[in-house]
Formats: sequence, C-alpha cells, structure tokens
Amino acid sequence: MNIREEFKNKYQIEPITVNTRLEDESYLTVKHEDFIPACLALHKLCHSPVMMMFAEDKRKTRSCYRLNTAFYAANTQHWYYICLDFPGADQEFPSVAKEIYSATLFEREIWEMFGIRPEGSPDLRRLRLHEEVWPEGYFPLRKDFTPPPATGRTGQEYNFIKGEGEGLFEVPVGPVHAGIIGPGHFHFTAAGEPIINLELRLGFTHRGVEKLMEGKTLTEALKLCECVSGDAAFAHSLACCSAAEKIFDLTVPARAKLIRAICLELERMYNHINDIGGIALDVGFSFASSFASVMKETILQLNDSISGNRYLKGVNVIGGVTKDINERSAAGLIGKLKTLNTDLKGLEEILFSSASFMDRVDSTGILRQKTAEDIGIIGLAGRASGLTLDLRTNTEPYRLAGFKPIVLGTGDALARLKIRLLEFKQSVQLINSFAGQLASGALASIPAGIKEDFALGAVEGWRGPVLYWLKLDSNQKIERCKITDPSFHNWEGLSYAVQGEIIPDFPLCNKSFDLSYSGNDL
Amino acid sequence: MMVITNQILWLALAIILAPLASGLITKVKNNLRLRQGQGILQPYRNLWKLFGKEEIVPANASWIFRVTPFVVFATSVAAVFFLSGDLLAIIFILALGRFFLALAALDAGSAFGGMGSSREMFISSFAEPAACLVIFAVYLTPGATWSLAHLLAGLALLIVILAETSRLPVDNQETHLELTMVHEAMLLDYSGPALALLELSAQIKQLFWLCLLVGTICPPVLLPYGFCLLGLIIVIAFIEVGIAKYRLFKVPDLLVFSVILALLAIVSALLGV
Repeated sequence: MNIREEFKNKYQIEPITVNTRLEDESYLTVKHEDFIPACLALHKLCHSPVMMMFAEDKRKTRSCYRLNTAFYAANTQHWYYICLDFPGADQEFPSVAKEIYSATLFEREIWEMFGIRPEGSPDLRRLRLHEEVWPEGYFPLRKDFTPPPATGRTGQEYNFIKGEGEGLFEVPVGPVHAGIIGPGHFHFTAAGEPIINLELRLGFTHRGVEKLMEGKTLTEALKLCECVSGDAAFAHSLACCSAAEKIFDLTVPARAKLIRAICLELERMYNHINDIGGIALDVGFSFASSFASVMKETILQLNDSISGNRYLKGVNVIGGVTKDINERSAAGLIGKLKTLNTDLKGLEEILFSSASFMDRVDSTGILRQKTAEDIGIIGLAGRASGLTLDLRTNTEPYRLAGFKPIVLGTGDALARLKIRLLEFKQSVQLINSFAGQLASGALASIPAGIKEDFALGAVEGWRGPVLYWLKLDSNQKIERCKITDPSFHNWEGLSYAVQGEIIPDFPLCNKSFDLSYSGNDL
Repeated sequence: MMVITNQILWLALAIILAPLASGLITKVKNNLRLRQGQGILQPYRNLWKLFGKEEIVPANASWIFRVTPFVVFATSVAAVFFLSGDLLAIIFILALGRFFLALAALDAGSAFGGMGSSREMFISSFAEPAACLVIFAVYLTPGATWSLAHLLAGLALLIVILAETSRLPVDNQETHLELTMVHEAMLLDYSGPALALLELSAQIKQLFWLCLLVGTICPPVLLPYGFCLLGLIIVIAFIEVGIAKYRLFKVPDLLVFSVILALLAIVSALLGV
C-alpha cells in the first residue's frame, strides 16, 4: 500500500516526512497532534499491536527526543513507524496506551528510562528500576545520565492492584522460588483456590543491556546480545546481525542464510522439547519429562558438534556465519534428526495416551483469541490462540521450503503443547530441506564503508519475534539499540490466562508460556 | 514384661527401617526413569544432616509451632504401636497429628502454610472416611485365604496409602513448585531438627500404611512379608512414575472410588464371596 496516499485520503493525516530508504521499513514523521490518530490508523491498517515503541535522546544534536512506534503489516512483510519529535524541554508526549493497550508496557518503560512522561497514561509504575531501591530522577537511557549514589532503600513502595471483598486473600510468591527458576514476583488475589487476579512484577534481572550497548562496536555488541536471553542466544544474535546487515546494505551469501536457518530451527527444537518435558514435569508426570530431557541433551550435543557451542553462541557474525556445515556433518545431522523425530512420536504417544496428563493440560489456562489480539500477544503463544503472525512466513529461505505457520485456536495449555510438538516436527522437515539446498559458496560477506544509519533486525525466535533496532553513529559505534524479546509482550498474556484457574494450576500455565525473565528485564 | 519388651523392640525396628522404605521408593523411581539417582540410604543422611542443623522459628509463631513436631512424631509412633491392636483408634490418633500440623502451618503466618493446611484438610476429609471403611473391611476379611474381599480391600487401601503418604497422583513429594504443594507446603517454615522429626514421622506413618496393606494380604511370616513389602514399594514407584498429578479438585473422585471399593469389600466379605 502507498502509505502516504492512504493516510491522506482515509485519515486526513499528512506526515511531515516519509523515510523509505530501507526496502521493508517506512518511517513516518508526524505532527504532534497527528501522533495518536496516526498510530491508531496504522494499528487498524496493519492489524498489528504496537510491536515496539522506544525513544531516542537527540537533545545534543537536534535538541529533541524522538519517539518511534512500530507496527508490522504481516501481509506485505513491512514495518511502519510513527515517529514524533518533541522538544527536549517538554518531556511529555501524548499517551497511546489509552487507545492501544499493547503500548502500555512500552510507555512505562520510556517513562522510567528517559523521564519523558506519556501524558494521560493510565499506569506509570516502574518496570525494572524498582521504587524500593532506585531513587527518583535518574533516567539511565538519557545521554547525560550519571548513576545515582548507592543509598540503599528509598522508602518507596510498588502499588499492587488490590482486590477487595469477602473471602479474598493475597498470595505473594517469589521472586525467590523453591526451585531453580528465574526471579519473578507473582501477586495472586485468590478466592480459596480460584485465582481472581494475577499481577506480575518483573525486572529483577535488569542489567541495563540497552545502556551497555551504547558506545559499543558491532562486534562487541554481538557478544552482548547473545547473553540477553540465554535460551534464545541464536535468535538474538541473528536479529542483531540482520539489523547491522541492513545498515551496511550487505547481501548475506545463500549458504550462510541456510546455515543460519538450520541453527535457528535447532534452537527452536531444543527449547520446544525442553518445554514439553517441563510441562510434563510440572504436572508430576516424571517419566515423560525424563524422556524429553534425554532428547534435549541429544540436540544440545548436536549443536555442539556443528557449531562448537551447545547454545549456538559464536555462530553469527555481521555478514554471515563463522561455522560451516560440511557434507559429512550435514549427513550426520539428518541422521540424528530422523531418530529424534521417531523419539518425538514415542513421546507424543506417551503424553496423549495418559488420561491423567491430558486431563491436566486440556482446557487449562485458556487465552482467548480476542484477548490475545487486544493485549498484543505474539509468537508461539499467539499462534496457540489463533493469531497467525509468524515472521518466517514468506521470507527466504523458508518460502522455498514451503513453510506455513502452525496455528491452533483453542488457546489452552494443550494448544501451546501441541504447537510445540508440531513445530518440532516441522523444524525437522525444514532442516532436512535446508541441508539439501546447501550449495558451495562463501560463508560471509564483509561489511565495507562507514554508515551512519539505523535499521531493524527481526527474527522469529522460538518464543516469537525478536526485534533489534540499531542505530550507528559516525564512529561506527552504537548510538541506540532497542531490544524487544517476545516475552515483553507475552508476560501479560499469562496473567489473563490464569484468571479463574486454581492456584496449583499456575505453574502449568506458566510453563506452557515459558517466557524469559532476562529477555523481559534486559 | 516380655510382651512389652517385644513390642518396644519392634517399634524401634520400625523407626529405624522407616526411612529405608522412602529410599527404596525413590531408588526404584529413579531407575525407572533411566537415572542412577541417590542411594537408598540417602533419607538417613538427610535426617542426620537436619538433626545437626540450627533450628529457625518464625518470629510470630506460638507454642503450637514448637510442639507440633513432637505431637506428630508421637502420633506416628503410636500408630505403629497399635498396628496389631485397635485399628480404628489409629485413624483418630493420626488425625490428631494432622490437626496439629495444619495448625502449625497456619501459625507461621505465611501464605504457603495456609494453602497447604487448607488443601490437606480438604483431601483428608475424603481420605479419612475412606480409611475408616477400609479398616472396617480389613477387620471383616481376616485370614490368609484369598477372596474377592481381600482384593477389593487391598485396592481401596492402596488408594488411601497414596493420599496418606502424599504421593502421586494426590501430592508430589519431588516437586519444587511451592504453589502445587500439599504436605510439603505445611513444612516450609520448619528447619533443622524439627523438620527432621516431621520427615521421620512422615516416613514412619508411611511404613505403618504399607504394613497395614501387606498385613491384609500376607501372613505374618518374615520372608513372604518382606517380599510383599518390597513388591508394594515397587508398585507404588511404578504408579508415581507413570501418572500425572490430578487436578486438586479431582482428588476427591479418586478417594470416593476408594470408598466404593471398601464398601464392596465389606459387602462381599459379609456375603462370604
């Protein structure tokens, strides 16, 4: 679609500038009063939640903040941004969250990181810089930020949503848990066992990744982004690489593209089988979970044998890959996958023929399609609820392999389990097809020249879209890097899915989403 | 005098052997899951470790919290002591221990203790009637001759055992998920020697239930008795590995099934089938 025409005719919005330098990204800078109408227009036109919303501190060069709100048009695989420049002295922008729910968390993030206030926002509580320990008035992502002195407790407290009524009680759980899992605080309001409301409080693993990125070279940044969310190390490094490659106009060699796709699918496979086992374990079905853990270990060893790292770290470089898959290892890979596929069928039979297991997962933790759409759920959890978005659709090399996203409609824990089983089998097929296409050629192209520009890298990781928005300055250092892990969108989905479920079913619902703490907390 | 000494000797033996049964079940479970797992003596090591540790009592806990481990231990020991006596009395003795444990969990004032107590009471309100009926059925089917009544009573008792010893599909002893715990949730605030005492009590109670079931189907001769006990342990391990935990509100279904089995056992015993 011609976005300028569409905006003018349908919505009477005239963007100040439209930047279409990149093939699949358009940046529409709008006037202050057009900001919310333009966001709403794109939200409708693209059928997309706010995929990403972030600010840039440009006070030094142009004495303004820039706000970017990203939407994704899945039918044309195009990213649209509504950009708003507002003077640095204002420190306020109109809140979109009132109109589009999926902007809420992003606005809270912008407020705590930049100190610019979404005017009229319903919720301004901090996400990561917890009130208890982080004093007011320190905004890390401002360019002139100086860290606060170590003062200990501030005396402030977080305001949880209070449920009131007869027989209601609150169950606070975590961030320290009985098992070895990530730190998250879950604040239940329950009436007996049934959950009335669940409020999440995360941010305990906040490391300031986006701040750490600033001033790094791309090579340094690549190391860092592999640590953003360890179980999606490859998807994160791939997203970072593709952003950089777009900036440098690099064409990635076909062979490298295939090797990347193989690795991406391997990462999906080991995580999916891990979760299938995890779901079984969380309902106490330990035989199936042992079975799955053996399979996971097989894939990790497979990763190690083809890349030298069990979690596929160090494979990606800007422009391609460092590790080759030769004919012999490709044959070995395909042989192993065949066994894994047979094992998976066995596991599927064990799970689906166990009445006690099926009773637990069937229609537990339902996230309805409408809810998922409204709160902006993406990726695997979205597809289990009937949303079709999958960034792999119609992109190379997936198109050639005949890729179709797997979508189910029931939105319960069983649907999320089934998607994992189906995607595991699909990944085996995809890898077979990719390995068959490997033709000899270069492994990487080399970036040349100096580029002062920005671009988005988007990759469908195993949880869903992993987004990296990179901006390089004239010294080829990173000026701004915005990272969005699908967990940031999807944690909210969990708190809706458990409503009405009983407290002992929460771990099962949680596992069926299996979201990342570190990817969310950054 | 002789009888008393004998009784006390048996009691001591039961206390000493109780952790071994837990160790055996864990070992068999791990082997079934293709794991080497911990040795069968691990429960002893755990107890030894806990007895040597410092005990921490929640700041706002009352005397109930302190006295409960001793009450629970006493009731478990008493249960074994009366194994060859008045069985119905045992149900009430065990209920006393349970009552104190639930109170103590509430006493500590944490959210998990409260959840554990409420779930334990919810489950036991079904498990106790089932246990009473099963014991009644056991009374009516004495002797070593095999009959349908034996089988039904044995099955009913097996279900009661799973509930009473907090095993799958009713409760999961291995879980790390505090929100799903029943028995473990009540122990979360205990530490050191008090926790050791509570764990030992649970193991003694478990041995009591196992012996009760073996006693209904096997003569009190050392070798067959031992084999039956071992067989039962393996059966329980198989059940635990091969089944998922029931949704909390489905547990009553299982226990009601046990009640029905027990009633059928009584009927068939009375009819002499």
